[in-house]
Amino acid sequence: MTNTINRLGSANMYDRTVNNLAERQAKLANLMESTSAGKRVLRASDDPVAAAQAERARTRMDRTDADQRSLDAQVGIIKSGESTLGAANSALQEFRALVVNAGNGTYTQTERDALVAQMTSLRDQIAGHANSTDSNGLPLFRGLGSAEQPLQGTNFLGQSGQTTSDINGIASTLDGVAAFMNVPTGNGVLAVSQGAANAGKAWTDIGTITDPSAAADAASANPPISITFSVAADGTTTYSIAGGAAVPYKSGEKISVAGMGLTITGTPADGDSFSIGASERSDLFNVLDQAIGVVRNAVKADGSTASGSLAHGVAKALAEIDSGMNRMQAVRSFAGDLLNRADTIATNLSARSLQLEADRSAAEDVDMITALSELKTQQTGYSAALQSYAQIQKLSLFDYIR
Amino acid sequence: MTLLNVGSGALMANQIALQTIGNNIANANTEGYSRQTVSMRTNFGQDMGSGYVGNGVSVASIVRNYSALLNRQSNTAGAIQAADLARASSLAQMQEAFAGGESGLGAAINEMLNGFSSVVNAPTDLTARNVVLTRMTELAGRFKSASASLDELDYTNKLQIQNDVTLVNSMASQVAELNGQISRSQAAGLMPNDLLDKRDQLVRDMNQYVQTSQVEGADGTLNLFVGGSQALVLGSTASQLSLSESVQYPGSGQLSLYFNQPGNAPVELTASMVGGGEVAGLLKFNNQDLAEGRNLLGRMAQVISTALNAQQAQGLTLSGTTGSPLFSQTTQMPGYTAIDGVSASVSFVDTRSTANPKPVLDATAYVASDYQVVFGESGKVNLVRMSDGLTRTYDDVAALSAQTVDGLQFNISGSGALNETVLFKPFSSAAATMQALVLSPQDLAVSNAVTASINAGNGGSLQLSGLKVTGAGLPDAASSGVEIRFAVDPATSAVTYTASNGATGNYVPGQPIKIDGWEITLSGTPHAGDSVTVQNAKSPALGDNWKRDAGNATAFLALRDAKMFDGGTSLSDGFSTLIAQVGTRTQSAKLAADLSGTIAKNLEADRTSVSGVNLDEEAAKLLQFQQAYQASAKMLQIAQSIFDSMISTVGR
Repeated sequence: MTNTINRLGSANMYDRTVNNLAERQAKLANLMESTSAGKRVLRASDDPVAAAQAERARTRMDRTDADQRSLDAQVGIIKSGESTLGAANSALQEFRALVVNAGNGTYTQTERDALVAQMTSLRDQIAGHANSTDSNGLPLFRGLGSAEQPLQGTNFLGQSGQTTSDINGIASTLDGVAAFMNVPTGNGVLAVSQGAANAGKAWTDIGTITDPSAAADAASANPPISITFSVAADGTTTYSIAGGAAVPYKSGEKISVAGMGLTITGTPADGDSFSIGASERSDLFNVLDQAIGVVRNAVKADGSTASGSLAHGVAKALAEIDSGMNRMQAVRSFAGDLLNRADTIATNLSARSLQLEADRSAAEDVDMITALSELKTQQTGYSAALQSYAQIQKLSLFDYIR
Repeated sequence: MTLLNVGSGALMANQIALQTIGNNIANANTEGYSRQTVSMRTNFGQDMGSGYVGNGVSVASIVRNYSALLNRQSNTAGAIQAADLARASSLAQMQEAFAGGESGLGAAINEMLNGFSSVVNAPTDLTARNVVLTRMTELAGRFKSASASLDELDYTNKLQIQNDVTLVNSMASQVAELNGQISRSQAAGLMPNDLLDKRDQLVRDMNQYVQTSQVEGADGTLNLFVGGSQALVLGSTASQLSLSESVQYPGSGQLSLYFNQPGNAPVELTASMVGGGEVAGLLKFNNQDLAEGRNLLGRMAQVISTALNAQQAQGLTLSGTTGSPLFSQTTQMPGYTAIDGVSASVSFVDTRSTANPKPVLDATAYVASDYQVVFGESGKVNLVRMSDGLTRTYDDVAALSAQTVDGLQFNISGSGALNETVLFKPFSSAAATMQALVLSPQDLAVSNAVTASINAGNGGSLQLSGLKVTGAGLPDAASSGVEIRFAVDPATSAVTYTASNGATGNYVPGQPIKIDGWEITLSGTPHAGDSVTVQNAKSPALGDNWKRDAGNATAFLALRDAKMFDGGTSLSDGFSTLIAQVGTRTQSAKLAADLSGTIAKNLEADRTSVSGVNLDEEAAKLLQFQQAYQASAKMLQIAQSIFDSMISTVGR
């Protein structure tokens, strides 16, 4: 600042110089403070916009941390759900192998009873898996809500449905109803059941749908479509569909009935029948219980094997176990998807965290190079000011008056 | 003989000049001292017939160098600088209450809300619930301590103003006394330089506290006026200033400066009327900046406690009851007025409602401001929002209280005369009184009061994205709930839904379906005939499933992004805007102080360039008059030797 006046009050001149020195010193101290703290913005008033930006970045970082923590917990839950379903699946595989074994016509009931014991234990294992809990003691498979022990007997006290994942987290429960409690009987559209009084050794497979609309009609037919066998005295066997014309029977031949291809194998007795009804929604545990029942009750009063009902039951059980397994696997692969997704989310979260830290730093941190060079400049300026003050204040006319 | 006379006159005059220079040098560093110079005058010559022969020199007067204009300018600039400086340093202190970072309020708010994310994953975990409750207590504590530091600032500033006012009063009476002495001296024809210096310095000091305008009287007295036209000093009488709570708004704690003149009613001086001086700066800070700080803090506390209490009331606790409030909440604040027979209050809840408790009005509409009701002509009322001056006019007080303004209801009984006012400070104490109520972890309403099942037989891929309570009207616990069934138009594949209670609409994945007091958000594509059932969580058919639900904790988490402040700022970002707001205020006050400081410094330099002592100049003058003095002495010597020569000649 230049003075237009050419007369200076000495006292004021000293005051001002001292003031200027103090100002420079304060600036230097501020610079040192921000350099040593590494922050350009120490107080909001230094740069209000940057201070607010930094605060927002910090808020977001805190939230990202919370999201990350929460994601870790969710991943833990879904991982244990996935491995539980894996274990349940192995048990179910084993169960299936036992059912296949039980279908061996040469087994005696004693041998089958041993299988039943194993099957029962496996069934209980699977039931235990369905009731497993996460590290917080909450059922893994509670879907949209469930009792503390969702599976009680063959009742599943849970609300079906799956929650979605969002951008920062994944679902923290799996749908137990979908995993365990939604197994269609038969082939999913129609189910073939053996007549209660069947005495022969004939059984059917579950059939494959060839004509969906005919199958749909058959599912709602009343009375249900039935296949009835009659064996003539000469041993020729015929069957009729829903009381229709008699057709010669040949074991293992695929016949077309109710919009599906059905294979009947073995030798039926006279009057044996199969009826075709709509497939129903059963559950895995009913399927397993029925399979166990079939194997346990495959003995006739005379001690011989009721091979017809055993074979039919085994075929039905295997088909239903397979679809049950599919359901379980579907939920398991959903869990796998969730875990994949969690990986992506985790990557995103840490990338965001880095970005936010960069934002915060850009807003409030000091640029060391600039700061140090500024510090140097100020230092030089301050020492120059001190020197010139010392020089100038030495000048006085009185020094020259001798 | 004449030479002797001339010589001794010159000797005398130069001696006086030297003494004056000495006095200048001696007082070079004396505050308020004005440089003095000797004004010399030629003695009138004597007609000797051949012309006028000079008669030497004599001292005309000793002049005090000063410029009334520069003095006044410097005083005013000093006053403004003092005001800006006082306000800037107070704001810098206030800013500390709004500090960001981990120990700040913003961190406490976000930590508390983030705490719910642990609860979402473990709704039955009492530890996670306890963490949230502890953070709520911590949050209320930080609000309290921020508010306490504002109170502390308020208190110390009040004391400071009180001190300043006392000083100003004493200085005013000193000026009045000096006025008397100076006018008496001047009447005697003398210039009392030192008294004038003393008075100018007093006025300069006084301007550090209160800006005055100075008018000089003909008799040498100086009259001082404050607040534009109030005569603080008139001749040799002084009036008094006083500080007290505004008489207009008893109980409000608002400070006012009063000018008291004997025999007249006190006149209120606002900060803008006072203009400059520390008193004006502090008054402005206390009544504007600090009030805004309190309002910002209070509004935030009020919004947070309202939002959290409302969310808590929509969920179920671990024992299955509706959540009880998390924070104590102020439902109304008094209005302040001195009008006889008028009582007033401002209410956060709907006073017209018959519900118990009365429902809280819209907290997101709050504006961090004080309000003033000014009575207009024929009973009309003008409601002024002080923060931005927005004025709304109503026919009468009843019409005003029938309205909800910025989420508030203003209730006034009685009416005032034209221009009488009522002051409302709705948020002034909300931060100080914020209190986290003592709850056990079980009492945190974490569970959703409604629950959904997506039909297991669905063919489509519907999943649940969100389900929340939005108000009253949940499915009856005794009923089997509301079934939402989807239909797909075979031609356009447009999906519509029909609820069992009759509601219908188009289904858009990710868009909430709003029915009664709840809304459900589904994602995925349903097949025709797919259905979703929403039930009351307390439905007996669902057992105690709600215990393991964290739907309301998710809703608490969602509050982080709820637009809560000024129609656009989210709850989690609210504090950062506060930081910026207070920071900007502090920054601009600092800049103003810097600017007025520079101006004051320059004007002071200008003033001292006239009145101040320059030692080099004095040294030069010292030589100059020393030489003149020596020359005068020589003159005497020569006169003597002339005389001696004459005597010796005569005596021979």
